Amino acid sequence: MAPRDASQDPSEVPVPLEKGFATLATLRIGVKAFVEKDGEKRKAEILSMQERKGQPFFYVHYEEFNKRLDEWIPAQRLDLSKEVEWPAPEKPDKKKSGAASKANSKNEMSKLTKAQKRHRVGASRDISGTPESSSTAAAGNGLAPSLFKVAPGVENNDSIALVSAEVMDGTPKPGDEEMDLVDVQDAAAAAKAAPPEIYSREDEIEKLRTSGSMTQNQTEISRVRNLGRVQFGRHEMDPWYFSPYPVELTEEEMIYICEFCLSYHAHLRQFTRHRQKCTLLHPPGNEIYRDDYVSFFEIDGRRQRTWCRNLCLLSKMFLDHKTLYYDVDPFLFYCMTTRDEYGCHLVGYFSKEKESAEGYNVACILTLPQYQRMGFGRLLIAFSYELSKRENKLGSPEKPLSDLGLMSYRAYWQETIVDILMDGRTDVNIEEIGALSAMTTNDVLHTLQNLNMVRYSKGQYVIVLTDAIVAQKEKQLEKEKTKPRRKIDPEKLQWKPPVFTASSRTWNW
Amino acid sequence: MTRAGAPPRFRQRKLSTKQSLAVVREDQVDKVDDDPQRNIPKVETGVEKGEEIEHHLQAAISASQAAAVGGKVAQILIPTPDTIRSSLQYDDLYQRCFSQPATYIRFSSTVEDCTGCQYNLTEEDDAFLASMNQKRALSTPCTEDQFEVIMDFFETTAQSKQPFAVVDSPPVVPYEEMESSFHEGIDDSVWIFAREVYQHWKVERIKRGNRPLTPSLKFETGQERDDSDPYVCFRRREVRAVRKTRGRDAQSSEKLRKLRKELELARHGLAMVKQREVLKRDILASDRQIFEERMQVKEEKRRNGFKDDDEDLINQKPQKRRINEAPQIQRPSVVQPRIPSRQDGRSAEADLIPLQDVLAEKENEMNRKLEEKIAQHNNCNRGYLDLTRMPLTPTTEQTSTFSFRSAVTEYLPTPPASVSSEASGNGTQVRDESPTRGRGDTIIVRYASPTYEGPSHTQLSFRRRRGRGGRILVDRRGLRLQSPEEDIDPIVYDRFRYDRDDEDEQPTYEVDPYETLFVRYRASMLPISHKDHAAAVHAHSVRRLQQQDVSMANGQSTSGAPGQHRGHAPSSTPTSAIVGSSGL
Repeated sequence: MAPRDASQDPSEVPVPLEKGFATLATLRIGVKAFVEKDGEKRKAEILSMQERKGQPFFYVHYEEFNKRLDEWIPAQRLDLSKEVEWPAPEKPDKKKSGAASKANSKNEMSKLTKAQKRHRVGASRDISGTPESSSTAAAGNGLAPSLFKVAPGVENNDSIALVSAEVMDGTPKPGDEEMDLVDVQDAAAAAKAAPPEIYSREDEIEKLRTSGSMTQNQTEISRVRNLGRVQFGRHEMDPWYFSPYPVELTEEEMIYICEFCLSYHAHLRQFTRHRQKCTLLHPPGNEIYRDDYVSFFEIDGRRQRTWCRNLCLLSKMFLDHKTLYYDVDPFLFYCMTTRDEYGCHLVGYFSKEKESAEGYNVACILTLPQYQRMGFGRLLIAFSYELSKRENKLGSPEKPLSDLGLMSYRAYWQETIVDILMDGRTDVNIEEIGALSAMTTNDVLHTLQNLNMVRYSKGQYVIVLTDAIVAQKEKQLEKEKTKPRRKIDPEKLQWKPPVFTASSRTWNW
Repeated sequence: MTRAGAPPRFRQRKLSTKQSLAVVREDQVDKVDDDPQRNIPKVETGVEKGEEIEHHLQAAISASQAAAVGGKVAQILIPTPDTIRSSLQYDDLYQRCFSQPATYIRFSSTVEDCTGCQYNLTEEDDAFLASMNQKRALSTPCTEDQFEVIMDFFETTAQSKQPFAVVDSPPVVPYEEMESSFHEGIDDSVWIFAREVYQHWKVERIKRGNRPLTPSLKFETGQERDDSDPYVCFRRREVRAVRKTRGRDAQSSEKLRKLRKELELARHGLAMVKQREVLKRDILASDRQIFEERMQVKEEKRRNGFKDDDEDLINQKPQKRRINEAPQIQRPSVVQPRIPSRQDGRSAEADLIPLQDVLAEKENEMNRKLEEKIAQHNNCNRGYLDLTRMPLTPTTEQTSTFSFRSAVTEYLPTPPASVSSEASGNGTQVRDESPTRGRGDTIIVRYASPTYEGPSHTQLSFRRRRGRGGRILVDRRGLRLQSPEEDIDPIVYDRFRYDRDDEDEQPTYEVDPYETLFVRYRASMLPISHKDHAAAVHAHSVRRLQQQDVSMANGQSTSGAPGQHRGHAPSSTPTSAIVGSSGL
């Protein structure tokens, strides 16, 4: 979400928004106006302006839409008959994070996050508790987030939710074996919910340094998508996000990327010339898995620096939460390919830290857009868990997940857990499920809850295979009879967890 | 919103991950006390807060959740920008040349290894190349590959000569500087185009403000603004700082210097090898040329009916000689044996110098030098009378055990009777430069040394020490005491070494302690006046003894430890006879 989006920012003291009518001439960056999008009018923020052939063009970000839908629009699509919101005047205390104001702002932040926590607990419960109501709200309103706004009715619920939350938080018994999920989760949420404006540049770099590859570089967030179209293999695609390819390439309407070595070219002539010389036919690493459908290659970022950098640049076009701030050395890249007589075509990949402090088994994961919605994502995820099983570890993808990532993972988790539960067992504990699937207990719990499968009955918790779930499963089995699902066969994985010396895990050049 | 109406009745237990949970179907659960979300905390989705509220995601989540609870909702997909099939012909770009190996692929070449020359021509380059080739229509045209090699060379050289061109914006590297690094590895045929291509390269380069022609990623340049530049990527992550000390600095710079030296050495070696191979190639080429020209000569001769001895067709004798003459002067001994065999047919052995001659020559040389030294020394000492006692101090004495003084040859001014034969293998000649005789005038003393086992064992030495009550003891060492079992295998002997019946018996020595020889020896250990001594035996050890007052208990065995004297001294060896008495 764009950081300027003041209405989303709970830290904002409700300043009356400056509204008014605007003309084309008075529009400026930061203004929020209504834009026609797919037949409806949506509020959008202007992020950039450009003149093309004498006509003004605006790069807009639609509120509550993913950034990948940001686009350049001509002036005709702006609806200036409605009032626009002017950007709030920049506040000195936010911009200048001096040493003195820092402590202040931190204080403020802690207060704010507490408030936020309440919102979150309350609101999210509303959704999960009564899914029907939330879905109707979302559908009817068109704006699910309206639930998050503090309406009197919701506030009431909030206070109740707060009581129970505090009861739970307040009694952490020492030696209690039960995992206190609440505290962990809330702490994480509080950390994540911190308003981005409060970050100073130093904090940000520190954050980049200490956290994993999924952290966003704040300066990139509001970046306008910088590349034109991309020619890759048999396809042309539109990039979704900013990617730090050489600046010269951003001037081109189309850039060309070699399907095998992933090198990028600004001109077709150079690209065809490159193709005459390039001899690579598959990702430059060892094949560790092969079935009749796909192959997986393992590539060490340290040994194949150029290729892995090219891969990261490519994937950055489709991953918002990926940083290329640091180099590829500490990662391994697992690339999925399909084969034909031309070679092994890259379909998707995931990267994995050689040593993850947080126990992540995936850092970034991507199915290339032209192969999306074909079941490849599920294979990638399944493969990542297969590796974790081989390592005898429980794994989880690095956070934050993207919207598409969340949906893919949830689908995989549901399928995996339901498969385990439906093998005829009468009782199971959550750790067992985790051990069987290499999923962390947190992810198991998350999934069970989402599917409304954990219930409290007769004084104890039970796992309920709901009718809906069973029906879904049966439907799927029915479908598989005609069109079998692709699976990862552990027998075909020729892989031992690689061992790295301390020096090769780090940036030892 | 069931919660609003139903306040908590009691606090439920938290859900434990270790707790065994029953798996039931929905109809088995009592709907009434199901309050599912009450005490199970909502788990984070893992999506960033700002994005969690996104319209399409929420719609998709709702849809999937609705499906999970049995609602009839079509699956909602999150919209993404479309991809379309490319207008380019895939087959024009990619060849069908992949054949899958039976085993899993193992591969370690890098992108650079697999993509050939890193420079790819542009359309401008095409135009230039065409015009250039048109101009040189007759000669060999420059191929695209050659052109790329040259361009790549200019690019990489410019990069290495001006690594900070992006920051400094220096002028374009001049051609002369480029030329100086024209180098190995690239075929010479390429360089003929270099000058022309350079002009083109320069133009292109200036067009881009002297930046690399191929766009490259932005890496950190160590400047402040790097951090905020979103195009700067793939930074090095800081390695934990090692504590810096002066010693470490010196150490690493030393290491680097050493490494550099070694690399230089290797490089030099390779350069030399290369030079040699180039020379070899030249030789082969000229040989070939000669051969071919000879062929022609032969043809000519045949055609014209010449009949001579074909001297000029076979091995080039005169030529060879000329080659060999030069080294002959410098290293006659090495080259000589080889040449004459070719020149005059004499056998090579005839010219070989026999080893004996060489050795004799060496010895002569040595003797001459010695003589020279002696003469020189004599010359120096002319007119002086050398009264130095012990002018040459044997060094071995100094290094031997300090308390024991070895009794060297000087104890035996006359040979013992038992050694008489001139041909005795043990006989050794000793040049004794006694100060009393004239210089250069040497006497030869012959004596018999005990059968040698090793110097340490045979060095006969004595020690005088003062015991309690002022007794003076003389210990001896270094005698090789031959045991009767001498002929026994040493291993067997060693086994029974300490296994003897007469353990406590006093050993018997078949030696007369009052024999003149021994008496004289013992007498020499008494204090003697300096004057007499000059004429007498002048043993180093003895001289030391003089300086102390010695009251000698002759022939009396006082307190010798029995173990020290065990063994039977055979009378046959004179040296052992001297010290026949155990402790003096």
